[in-house]
Amino acid sequence: MTSPSPSIESLRAGDPQALESLFQLHSDRVYRLALGLLRERQAAEDVVQETFLSAMTHLDRFEGRSSLGTWLYRVAYNASLTRLRERPTEPLPPDEPEAGEPPLPRALVEWDLTPEEMLMDSEARRHLDAAIAALPASLRAAFILRDVEELSTLETADTLGISEGAVKVRLHRARLALREHLAEYFGKRAARKEGEK
Amino acid sequence: MNCEELIRYLSDYIDNGLSESLRADAEEHLATCHNCHVVLDTTRQTIVLYKEANREGIPVDRRSALFGQLQKALAARRAARGPS
Repeated sequence: MTSPSPSIESLRAGDPQALESLFQLHSDRVYRLALGLLRERQAAEDVVQETFLSAMTHLDRFEGRSSLGTWLYRVAYNASLTRLRERPTEPLPPDEPEAGEPPLPRALVEWDLTPEEMLMDSEARRHLDAAIAALPASLRAAFILRDVEELSTLETADTLGISEGAVKVRLHRARLALREHLAEYFGKRAARKEGEK
Repeated sequence: MNCEELIRYLSDYIDNGLSESLRADAEEHLATCHNCHVVLDTTRQTIVLYKEANREGIPVDRRSALFGQLQKALAARRAARGPS
């Protein structure tokens, strides 16, 4: 973070520098949240545009109970969800994603690539994308905000409009589901390598 | 602590959110359970992977264009509202 957060008063007064500071400070995070949810660059850019336009037009609705950043993420999250709902194939969040225990891990092999190697391996990278695309949007959002953007549990709860307890449950489910998906891939990969010997 | 309980507390363990006594129980289990140790290790790797894989922000060539569009759209809205 290089530029200071602009004051709400300067934004309401239409100060162009305040707008630029706000954009500099939060647009990448808004973009990553939207890209993580929508998996399309153009759609993520559209959400950035919509988020800042909506926020600047409705500054009077900002009550200061959360930070400006959290407020922007909330606008971006809702804009992304609206777009997801328009997609017929998207797995929408179940009504009660917190209900019940998540399934126990089944794939228990150690992985043969370090995270750095995995990011360079195109096949592994595809599985990384497929794993997060398969998560319901509600779990994906909790994971992106907490583990990728490193927001606190409280900030994530404010953004998603849920309790801190629900954030923890969603995050736990997301982590386990992503790990399981990747672990299954690594298991198959290890078996394939063994067969090639 | 058994495997099922360890998995239930896994995220809280990773986030340092367990009480001292639960943390000690979890560590005692992890010291002897290879499978749970693998799950812990690969869950941590999963988090690192996605953090590293999602560092990109708005593409440089699109950033100023997006900001320009935003300024134009805001100016148009202000003009449509008329002088305040």
